[in-house]
Amino acid sequence: MSITGMAVRRPQDRSLTLVLVCIPLLFLASGVAIRYLAFAAGAPDASFGDYVSAMCRWDCGWYLGLAEHGYEPFPMPEGRNVGSWGFFPLFPAVVAVVRNALDLPTLHAALLVSAICSYASCLLAWPLLERNLRAYVLYSAFVLSGPFSFHNMSGLTEGLMLLLMTVVFVALRRSAWLSAGLATALLSATRLVGVFAVLALVVDMYHRHRSQGGTPSSFLRHVLARPDLLLAIVISPVGLFSYMLLLYLTVGDGLAFGHVQRAFGRVLGNPAMYLWNNLANTPQTGWWPTAHQWSGLAVITGLGLCAVLAFRRQYGAAIFCIVCIVLPITSGLASIVRYVAALVPLTTTLMMLLAGRVLFVPSLLVLLWASYFVTRAWFGGFLALV
Amino acid sequence: MRSSRKLSTPRWRLPAYGLVAALAAAEATILWLALHPRVHPDYRAFYIDRTTTCLNKEVVGTYRLGETVSFRPDGAKRSNPLKVCGWTGAAGNGTHSRGHTSILRIALADPPPEGLTGTVELAPVTRPGAGDRQVLISVNDVEVTRVTLAAPEPRNVVFEIPDFAVEGSDRLDIRFDYPNPLPTGPMASNTNDRAIKLLSLRVAPGMADQLVGSRPRNGMSLR
Repeated sequence: MSITGMAVRRPQDRSLTLVLVCIPLLFLASGVAIRYLAFAAGAPDASFGDYVSAMCRWDCGWYLGLAEHGYEPFPMPEGRNVGSWGFFPLFPAVVAVVRNALDLPTLHAALLVSAICSYASCLLAWPLLERNLRAYVLYSAFVLSGPFSFHNMSGLTEGLMLLLMTVVFVALRRSAWLSAGLATALLSATRLVGVFAVLALVVDMYHRHRSQGGTPSSFLRHVLARPDLLLAIVISPVGLFSYMLLLYLTVGDGLAFGHVQRAFGRVLGNPAMYLWNNLANTPQTGWWPTAHQWSGLAVITGLGLCAVLAFRRQYGAAIFCIVCIVLPITSGLASIVRYVAALVPLTTTLMMLLAGRVLFVPSLLVLLWASYFVTRAWFGGFLALV
Repeated sequence: MRSSRKLSTPRWRLPAYGLVAALAAAEATILWLALHPRVHPDYRAFYIDRTTTCLNKEVVGTYRLGETVSFRPDGAKRSNPLKVCGWTGAAGNGTHSRGHTSILRIALADPPPEGLTGTVELAPVTRPGAGDRQVLISVNDVEVTRVTLAAPEPRNVVFEIPDFAVEGSDRLDIRFDYPNPLPTGPMASNTNDRAIKLLSLRVAPGMADQLVGSRPRNGMSLR
């Protein structure tokens, strides 16, 4: 059976289900191999255990610390002066549960959680990819073996974000408002931008209301008359509010996740100015873009894909993604490549665009080829990949 | 979808509205709590009111008089317990200041001998066209010297610590104030208001001009 032939079918038969289960498994394995080769190229004498340890970089250490010790009060023990309050609790909480349940070292538990979440997000993304098998192959390759797959497989929130974001948008596609609200609640406990999925929820409700003949002025009445819609909206930020309560009880400041950014030297500014400064940061020698320029290009690519979403009338997803890109860059472009690469509506859209007959094979090869080099750059400390 | 629509049926309608009201009330309460923080004064000054760039913390490093402590990575074990706030690093070229104030804190195990002299090796953090960096050094709130760092090379700054600044105290708070650190802003978001690189510290008994290897002091002024 050809790929094209299967692309138009629903996954009703067992063979297709088996294919859908196996494709991400294949890329999960190839991803480990590619990342290990990239690591070994820089450290030929290192063991696989060294590779596993090296998969924890930058913010990963904060999350492992949270999984082991939880949030610290203020004044902090051991003379530290930067608290971990900027890191949201759901991922480290899940890691702690898995660590205790399986009696694993914290890092191994974190990597396991990330791998399972990333794999599951691929399986669940099938409807978002409009049951196009070529797009599904590309998406699985991107998430599990692609150039930014190390973020999804590390001890960072990316894997969990991918999974929850996928659940939100699959639920919205089915107008399963309460499920979308519950997934948004979990998303809002994973990272701050997660709470803005409620915008996609409300916009999609409105879109649905209009498509059923409702008027703009009757939308509010429509929502108030439907307790299931109201509950979906009100439940969406529960994760964020729960974390705020936890911070209030621990530190005395429910907004500590925002206030602590001062200790990291973040300065609020005009996002357009930040973007321009990064793009204008040209290399001293040669033509290869600087880390700043790569970050700027990630923003432009992300916003371009948001425009594609809007063009396809996926207004809720477009607004959510715009907020998820613009909000972080009000304090600089640090980590923006990671943030953009984990926005499910954007990456599924991109993979749909690349899934045509002509582009499919070259795109797949480029994803796998680039993965090796980008992963090497990540292990080497390339700033755009923080 | 069906299960969620069930909430709009007459049987579930009231409980569903009740749940919505309970959640909304809980969220409003948490928001109110968040807008009225109950925090430690040091936390409030640094994180909320932003009246200081130096978040005080209760660290008191042990120190043997006469010892030279390196603030490069090789001396991190000795220097880290001395750093209260306003520092970042250590990097290869020293520990960088961060913000408008940095503090080092040293425990005094016994009453120190009369006449202490401090020596710090400093270099400015600078950028082309950014000018010189000014530094005011105080010990236990008594200003002991002020210097202008122009050349990029590190230099020793020697200052005498007046006896009345130490009298009755079990610690030395050595405070560095920077009137003109490199400004942080959208055009230079990663400077973190840095002003100096601290390479080493020494506090020894004796007057500045009696210390072996010391240089002339830099315009000491007492308040």
